[in-house]
Amino acid sequence: MTGLLALAPLAPLAAAALILLGRRAAAPLALLGAGASLYGGARLLSSVAAGATASLALPGLPGLPLALTATPLTALLSVLVATIALFVLTYATGYMTEDPERKRFFATMLLFVAAMQTLVLAGDWILLLAAWEVIGLASYLLIGFWHDRPGVPAAATRAFLTTRAADLGLYAAAFLLIGATGTNAITQATHPSGPAALAAGLLLLLAAMGKSAQTPLHGWLQDAMAGPTPVSALLHSATLVAAGAILLIRTAPLLPPAALLAAGLVGGTTTVITGLIAFAERDLKRLLAASTSSQYGLMLLAVGAGYPLAALLLLIAHAAIKSSLFLASGVFQHSRDSTRLDDLRGIAAERPLAYAGFTLAALALAGIPPLSGFLAKDAVIAATLASPRTAAFATLALAGTLLTGAYMGRALHALWHGQPHPRPLAGIGWMIAGLTGLVALAATLALAFPGIRTLLGQPLPETVAAKAAGLSAALTGLALGWLLRPERALGPLLPWAQRGFRIGGGLSALTVKSALTLARACDRTETLLYGGVLAAGRAGMAVARAAQASDDLGLDALIAALARGANRLGARLRTLQSGLIHRELALATAGAALLVASLAIALLAAPAIPPR
Amino acid sequence: MSIGLLLALLTAAALFGIGLYGALSQTNLVMIMMGVELILGGALLNLVAFWRFLHPGSYPGQMFVLIVMTVMAVEMAVGFGVAIARFRARGSVEMEAARELQG
Amino acid sequence: MSALQLAFVTFFGLAAVWFALVVFRTSSMMRSALALLFSQTALGALFLALQAEFLGVLQIMMMATEMSIMAIFMVMFMMDPGGLGQMDMTHQKRLSIVAGVVAAAVVAVVAVLTPWGAPATSIPNPSEQLQGLGRELLGRSMLVFETAGITILTAMVAATAVAMPALQRRRER
Repeated sequence: MTGLLALAPLAPLAAAALILLGRRAAAPLALLGAGASLYGGARLLSSVAAGATASLALPGLPGLPLALTATPLTALLSVLVATIALFVLTYATGYMTEDPERKRFFATMLLFVAAMQTLVLAGDWILLLAAWEVIGLASYLLIGFWHDRPGVPAAATRAFLTTRAADLGLYAAAFLLIGATGTNAITQATHPSGPAALAAGLLLLLAAMGKSAQTPLHGWLQDAMAGPTPVSALLHSATLVAAGAILLIRTAPLLPPAALLAAGLVGGTTTVITGLIAFAERDLKRLLAASTSSQYGLMLLAVGAGYPLAALLLLIAHAAIKSSLFLASGVFQHSRDSTRLDDLRGIAAERPLAYAGFTLAALALAGIPPLSGFLAKDAVIAATLASPRTAAFATLALAGTLLTGAYMGRALHALWHGQPHPRPLAGIGWMIAGLTGLVALAATLALAFPGIRTLLGQPLPETVAAKAAGLSAALTGLALGWLLRPERALGPLLPWAQRGFRIGGGLSALTVKSALTLARACDRTETLLYGGVLAAGRAGMAVARAAQASDDLGLDALIAALARGANRLGARLRTLQSGLIHRELALATAGAALLVASLAIALLAAPAIPPR
Repeated sequence: MSIGLLLALLTAAALFGIGLYGALSQTNLVMIMMGVELILGGALLNLVAFWRFLHPGSYPGQMFVLIVMTVMAVEMAVGFGVAIARFRARGSVEMEAARELQG
Repeated sequence: MSALQLAFVTFFGLAAVWFALVVFRTSSMMRSALALLFSQTALGALFLALQAEFLGVLQIMMMATEMSIMAIFMVMFMMDPGGLGQMDMTHQKRLSIVAGVVAAAVVAVVAVLTPWGAPATSIPNPSEQLQGLGRELLGRSMLVFETAGITILTAMVAATAVAMPALQRRRER
């Protein structure tokens, strides 16, 4: 069991390393890595379904070991991540056929998959935090994949800094919980109570808002559509943005009612606002991005209503559905080299298979039975009806459902009417293969839901009223979208919606710009300090040179002068030695006279010695 | 104070002075040696005078005289050898030209 | 001292001094050599007058020989042995005169002013002197004498070596 626990995150990581080292066979290795991860996850799920749980402990900080755990929830999520990854990578094999940077792409995707597996299987806060950060990094690398194109690096930076700012909430919450409970395990056994729990809950909500693109942090997801479509399909519909919802689903038992209420309100507001944005969008991928935020709003609403199982069902269904929608839009993008709805008119006849998949997934998302989306939405609406705040939550949920139908209908309409321009597309086989797999999954997941319900064993309300309300809202929305144009439908709200309901420059002014300004200020300070250090160094050198000069001019000159003086004295004395005999004799005579005189003086001056 | 002693000593003084003048003023090596001979002669006279007038019974005085005479002879011999060598090397023994030891 | 002895001392003393002056006043080399000879001989006679017979005889003998040899060397080495050229072959004359005069004056002053004490009265006769000298030589001053002998030998060898011409083979090279 522990081997399987390790296989799921490590297989993609090993595949990434092989791609980087070998620089060949990128796509096959990617598929192999994802396949191995799926195998591990599936075996894990089957073991867990049979009733076993496993835990793999890794050495961490003293008293705070790292752990991977396999519970029904974590095993299920692991299988989900691996499945979506496998299909998307299959699609990417075809999508990236003509791109020269494929190796970098596949390696980074595999890194992401490995980190995501670690995150869903994490058993303690520290490992969760680390994996959280790594998926943020992978998202930055993948959004900015085509960094030469205008606007792409800015979009990647914006996404990274926005989610990073929200991640502070996760850090604070994790440390708060570790401090309150004394252990870093994510268990549901030990709850903190009182203000600690509320604070932790709100901070976790903040982190979830950032990662899952909830209002007011929803702007970055639309900008993240600048990356390649497989990235949007994997990260920004099914897995990375799901991390926020997964966090709240796992910690739902810990959250006090006030935090749940906050989560629900945030989710509900997001559903409506981003739904409106999606309806007014003129770019297909951005529409789908706004739709993602909207759906995750519904999931948070379900958690806020007190039924995390409903959120989980919607998460699983949405993952398959949204990735299929993105994969199909990727096919359209490659056909027309654009993702604007105006440019994609009439593509339905050009790419019938892709359009068929798109339609199926769109209907599933809107909530048409017997597709999985219907069951999931039904669970969410029923949860809101059964929650303590029925009026607010249910209204928001139904409004979200309506809007879902509206923008999906609009998209279908826009793609249907128009002139086809057929042309061949490289790698279409792989793309259709991946798309088909995911669409099939989206269509048939409903069959797995009862099994999931029994596996997790949590309560789930079911009422006929919910079913009826949901279905009617979906159908109304679809009709609205197909028939009405957004300008007429939204009226005065249109400009707001088209700008993404940005107020005062949006959150980017708050987080992104301030972070970059701070970075520039730090750079200037550092340059100043560096200049100061160099100046100190130069001053030291100047002192040294002065000392050397004083030594040269002072002491050395003195010594040289002494030497010269001695030399000159010696030269003068040398003239005495003329070599001439008579001079030498004269000197000898003078010397002898001096000697005799001194002797005489000594003898005369000395007291007389009495003779013995 | 004996007159004889005084006379002898004065004679010796005169010889000493003349010899010193000669040694310092002559250019020729042989003449210089002559001056030195006179100086030594003055010294000898002093010694003999002192022996005669002050310590006639003490023979070390005469011994000293013998030694000084020996020194005079030796000095002459070596001096002439040097003169011959110099003459062979330079062709003259004029000391004005002998500046080889100039420092 | 008897008057005769005193007379002799005076005479020979003046002779010595006068001949010494002649040595340096004459320009003839031969005459210088002969004058020196006479001066030294006068000195020897002075020794005799002072009753140091052995020493006087020795002095006269040695000086006669030495001066003769000096005369021969004079003729060999001098440019103008006869002194016929009348050249002034002196240098630093003033210094030398001053030195000579000062030295003589100092010695004379010392000689005159020192209280030498009473002169001796009894002088041993020549044979006694000889015996005494002999005993002195072979007794207490034996080492001095031996050393003097070795020194003379060394000096002879050295003088001969210095005076010898350079060896044949050096010239051939």
